[in-house]
Amino acid sequence: MGRVFALRNVRIYFSKLGRMKFVSHLDLTRFMARLIKKSKIPVWYTEGFNRHIYMNFAVPLSLGFESTCEIMDIRIVDENFTNSQCLEQLNSVAAEDIKFFAVNDPVLPTKEIGYADFILSFEELKAETASKLSAFLQSDSILCEKTGKKGKVKQIDLIPKIKSFLLEDKTLNLTLVAGSEDNLNPSLVMDTFFSQTETEPIFYSVTRTAILDKKGNKFK
Amino acid sequence: MDTQQFEKLLLQVQKPGRYSGGESGSIIKDKEKVDVRFAFCFPDTYEIGMSHLGMKILYSLFNSREDIWCERVFAPWTDFEAVMRENNIPLFALESRDAIKDFDFIGFTLQYEMAYTNVLNMLDLAGLPLKSADRTSLSPLVVAGGPCVCNPEPIADFIDLFFLGEGEEVDLEIIDLYKEHKKKGSTKEEFLRAAAKIEGVYVPSLYDIEYNEDNTIKSVTPKNGAPAVISKRIIKDMDKCYYPDNFVVPYIEIVHDRVVQEVFRGCIRGCRFCQAGFIYRPVREKSSDTVNRQARALCENTGYDEISLSSLSTSDYREIEPLLNKLLGWTEKSYVSLALPSLRIDNFSDELLDKIKHIRKSGLTFAPEAGTQRLRDVINKNVTEEEILNTCRTAFEGGYTAVKLYFMLGLPTETDEDLKGIADLGQKIVNEFYSMPNKPKGKSVSVSISVSTFVPKPFTPFQFEPQITKEEIHRRQEYLKSCITTRKISLSYHDSATSSLEGVFARGDRRLGAVIELAYKNGCTFDSWTECFDDEKWKKAFEDAGVSPEFYANRLRDYSEINPWDHLDYGVTKKFLIKENETAHNEKTTPNCREKCSACGAACYGEGVCFEKR
Ligand code: SF4
Repeated sequence: MGRVFALRNVRIYFSKLGRMKFVSHLDLTRFMARLIKKSKIPVWYTEGFNRHIYMNFAVPLSLGFESTCEIMDIRIVDENFTNSQCLEQLNSVAAEDIKFFAVNDPVLPTKEIGYADFILSFEELKAETASKLSAFLQSDSILCEKTGKKGKVKQIDLIPKIKSFLLEDKTLNLTLVAGSEDNLNPSLVMDTFFSQTETEPIFYSVTRTAILDKKGNKFK
Repeated sequence: MDTQQFEKLLLQVQKPGRYSGGESGSIIKDKEKVDVRFAFCFPDTYEIGMSHLGMKILYSLFNSREDIWCERVFAPWTDFEAVMRENNIPLFALESRDAIKDFDFIGFTLQYEMAYTNVLNMLDLAGLPLKSADRTSLSPLVVAGGPCVCNPEPIADFIDLFFLGEGEEVDLEIIDLYKEHKKKGSTKEEFLRAAAKIEGVYVPSLYDIEYNEDNTIKSVTPKNGAPAVISKRIIKDMDKCYYPDNFVVPYIEIVHDRVVQEVFRGCIRGCRFCQAGFIYRPVREKSSDTVNRQARALCENTGYDEISLSSLSTSDYREIEPLLNKLLGWTEKSYVSLALPSLRIDNFSDELLDKIKHIRKSGLTFAPEAGTQRLRDVINKNVTEEEILNTCRTAFEGGYTAVKLYFMLGLPTETDEDLKGIADLGQKIVNEFYSMPNKPKGKSVSVSISVSTFVPKPFTPFQFEPQITKEEIHRRQEYLKSCITTRKISLSYHDSATSSLEGVFARGDRRLGAVIELAYKNGCTFDSWTECFDDEKWKKAFEDAGVSPEFYANRLRDYSEINPWDHLDYGVTKKFLIKENETAHNEKTTPNCREKCSACGAACYGEGVCFEKR
């Protein structure tokens, strides 16, 4: 307080792979704060009694998922500090399964996020299950119950939230609505599939591969 | 282990971050290029073990040597244990995910007695025989250190050798000796005999115990050249002692998730119930420059934004003021906060209070431990009611409204009057708040009283005392509850269910090995966790083994009796402990080490407070 800084938002792109998939979103925020501290990037701390590094994550990633496209915004207090310096300093302290691959000036605010791409890889996908899954995803509607934030159970239709899908061999590509207003988790799609079609659950891993804006372009 | 298969299993458990490894600061080496693989085992959950400073120190120290790879192992929680057993996954180390049964050393740190069944469970999960005698090859050697080693007899059947005292030097000496013997192709027996000659090493299998008809110990006889008395090791120069410049920083939240900076070892106080106050003697301090430098390096390398100063009684640190000034010189600028635990009230000056007030407004905590001056004199807790009330007043004036008080129930000579004194003290603090002319408007005061059950421990002046029975613990708890009449005071009891058992193991002998094994086989693990503790199973184990817990816990021990730990030497002499016990019963206090040396015996190490100018 008192001092006026020229704050600059920067958008950081990183991947979260391997052992990092066991790190929950909450734990990731703590981890990132420490990593940024170690990196000595001149970041902005929130005001108040308990000052902490300002960080804004675009869309939280579920525990157990990997990602090649995570996005986090921070604020820089030093006008002369460049994006490439920022990237370099982040990577100098990055952990094995977190890699930073770009730092850019944000183009759109995070509320403009509309969709996300996921790849689901099945350990094993029998032809019969695959065709059931394909038919399921092409239904006119998939009604299921979702527990909202306040614990209220409401009925929702998944179909309008599934923008597109592509089932090839043992992988399922899904483009689902994402963002702060509406968000569909691929686990919900699969759980609903298993339960509504009475299919024995099969193991699959999930990787988020892109975050898109409302027009379906890469979110920047 | 197949990574994919393993990770799939991890996703089935509550907190996969406990087992995934790969944290920042964790150390990966090429196993082909090291001579010794050490599995450092903490027999409790990841969150508790990762908070433990001793483990952090030894982990970094061992790994600072090129020829050693030390890895971490924690007790898997019951959900993951089930997954492991179902899928035949042996206990593995977090860094390499290799099975620990193929390691050279399996080292346990024994911080509390209630972890003993976890030690057995971890050996079993590793795929090893539980008993030392049944593990015949040289490796893996099962070793243990930590405070419980001051009486390791109950768990002696399962451990090959114990480290007494501080591990920084002796652990490496043993590792070096092991390397020699491994090269020579020695047997385990040959190695253990040689190991027993190193100071601070106790090989229980080299001692025969004989018992009297009344079940007390008749004699402890060393064999094969083992020493009759085993002395603990200490580090003499704390400024030269190894200290890590980085920690493994967990992803998941742990109990102490911050930089923990040690300032000194030992305690000058000599509270008569406190084992740590005796077994870590004498006090040896680090200079404020060392502390400041180490804390700063840790902050830079870990990215933590909080430091806590660690010792048994940080306000007794002679350089506390210069240290706080040095630390505050850089922490504020880098948004690092300081936490100062266990500040004692008897030298909690206005000035110091003022300084830490700027740092952080955490709760005010005091540990009077007993409710009356008489009983505080008995336990040598040199804190007066006046001091407590004065400090509270100063703190209230500084804006504090919550006070937390720690007490013990079941102390030697305790009467109902002493218990009532606890409630009275709480009430006086409440009154103190309301008597302030300029007390904060609209604010109320809260006093929380936390009461634990006293457990007599070896190497304390109360090692001779009977522990009160479970029934009596319960009666006294109820009585104390009835003494509290205001909502401003809240009362909580902790670990009373397990403290009776803790009392048995703290002063137990080797015959308890059978009880631990039976209890474990009945399904006991994680006994310090209320959701896991099962008193009935323990009762049955005692019955089946034909061992009476009362014999160990509830009996007054004669000064002349041979205790199971009497062949271990922690510096303080039995003569001193007897004298202190008598002084306690005379309701007299003993000055602290800085006021006057009481010749406890710890000066034998030639270092520390014993040689300070008074
Ligand atoms: S010898 Fe004296 S100064 Fe040293 S620890 Fe014992 S009582 Fe304290």
